[in-house]
Amino acid sequence: MSVLLRMELAKLWRLTSVRVGLLLVIVFPLLWAYAPGIFDVYGFFLVSAYQVPALGLLSSMQFLLPLLTAITAAELLGVEIANGTLPTILLRPVTRPNWLAAKLVAATLYPFVLLAVFLLAALVAGAQFGFGSFIGGTGLGEAGLLGSGSMSAGAAMAELGRGYLLAAVALVPIAMLAVMFTVVFMNAAGGALATMATLILMQLLIVFPRLEPFLLTTQLNAYAAPTSDLSWVIALIALYGALFAAIAVVLFERKDF
Amino acid sequence: MSTPAIASERLTKVYGKRQVVKDFTFRVNPGEVYALVGPNGAGKTTVIRLVSGLAFPTSGTVSIMGKDPHLRPEVRRELGAVVEAPAAFYPYLTGRANLQLHASLAGGVEPGRIAEVLNLMELSDASERKVGVYSLGMRQRLGVAAAILTRPRVLILDEPASGMDPLSLHLVHSVLRKAAEEGTAVLLSTHHLDEVVAYCTRVAILEEGVLIDEVNLFDRRERYRLRPTNIDEAVRLLSASPHVKHASVRGTEVVFIPASAKDLAAVTGVLAQGGVGVLEMNRDVFDLRAYYRERVSAERARRTGVIEPVAYPGEAS
Repeated sequence: MSVLLRMELAKLWRLTSVRVGLLLVIVFPLLWAYAPGIFDVYGFFLVSAYQVPALGLLSSMQFLLPLLTAITAAELLGVEIANGTLPTILLRPVTRPNWLAAKLVAATLYPFVLLAVFLLAALVAGAQFGFGSFIGGTGLGEAGLLGSGSMSAGAAMAELGRGYLLAAVALVPIAMLAVMFTVVFMNAAGGALATMATLILMQLLIVFPRLEPFLLTTQLNAYAAPTSDLSWVIALIALYGALFAAIAVVLFERKDF
Repeated sequence: MSTPAIASERLTKVYGKRQVVKDFTFRVNPGEVYALVGPNGAGKTTVIRLVSGLAFPTSGTVSIMGKDPHLRPEVRRELGAVVEAPAAFYPYLTGRANLQLHASLAGGVEPGRIAEVLNLMELSDASERKVGVYSLGMRQRLGVAAAILTRPRVLILDEPASGMDPLSLHLVHSVLRKAAEEGTAVLLSTHHLDEVVAYCTRVAILEEGVLIDEVNLFDRRERYRLRPTNIDEAVRLLSASPHVKHASVRGTEVVFIPASAKDLAAVTGVLAQGGVGVLEMNRDVFDLRAYYRERVSAERARRTGVIEPVAYPGEAS
């Protein structure tokens, strides 16, 4: 398993979608840090470097980050299909569940790496506003960007860390879903497209208020969840992730190549 | 009977409503080279994928070294295979790095083995180049190198000669022949019928997923033909001789199989003693192309009721 996992992690960095994704999350925060019309549109001024990562996350969690996650997870398997290396590897004494499990682990790790780079890039982009204490909030706490008085640098960083970590956790089931759909369609584009279509469909299901708390798309807001709800939110995310991963493994094991 | 290296029993594969392979039964013994030939779409690749465990049979059984590759994936330690044409590798890795990766997945190979197979397949000079810049023939040779890397007891290759120049083709066939001489069972699909005749042990002819004929080329290679002055007497004398395993009439000639290579010299003596002269004697070169055409054409005529010419694979029809 460790050989497979090392192989998959090495492959991850060679994927085009990973390189493009990382480039995007490095460039994207600059839009917020240097946007001239931010007050006109949102009615506030950025006063701290800690507010740039928050704005970045708030504006990308509903579409951009799920999209980047889905494309990369789908490409992890899709590139093997496109290169023809999938059968070649499966002819070695490797079990199919182990091989796919290594891919699923790599796909799980990707959102954490993506968001770590995003957070770092956003902090660097916001450096012009300074890293000291400030009057206001990070945008990821209960008091929003306006805050409730002075906020220390440590408290701001803790809020950002918590928010980004929860956001990465919430993206994991999307990665599993993309792998699952790629197993079904046997190509990366089909896998990523089906994942995004599923997410859009789920977003439409908010018209059924009783369903809303259970939807995967609702969990994408986990970064803003109150601490009291966290165990429920994480359990639901884990359930979605485990379900999609299990379906992917079962389907993959019976697939003809 | 010893355990065959590769075997299938009534192997059937259905995709949707189409039966791609029907009741395919065969066995390949250690040291044999078994070729699958047939028109495009005959089911050769599907058989290869079913046997190697990549696809699941709809019905029937398959085994490698007596074990079902679907239920016992560890049996793939005994297997070296190329199922893609051209052989598939990670294009961003060098030839050597790709082989190292294969070695890791197989649980390791002895030191120097990677350099040895690269040298054997004449890829040493290109081993540090990325596979993405390899020619089709080089990829195919790297595929064979990967297949023989772990010294497997079973080799399965789908069109290993695809896209190769004559020298590379000869190299690959000589490597496969050597592997068979060392006891490896080789199963391959090919369109190169001339090469098949040169070194394969048996050939299966497939048409529409059905095994329509299995030709033992080993026996065919040992056949001789002669034109005697008296054909009936020649057949009678040879059939009764201990130097001859089999004799039969074909047109104006007698086709015979000597008991051994040494017995060949005695054959003309047997005939001379019986008063039969020999006008001409030659090895009976088996024309697999003609035989293939005839068998496939006959099968199509039987199935459709229409007699149509069949092109030899690779020729324009």
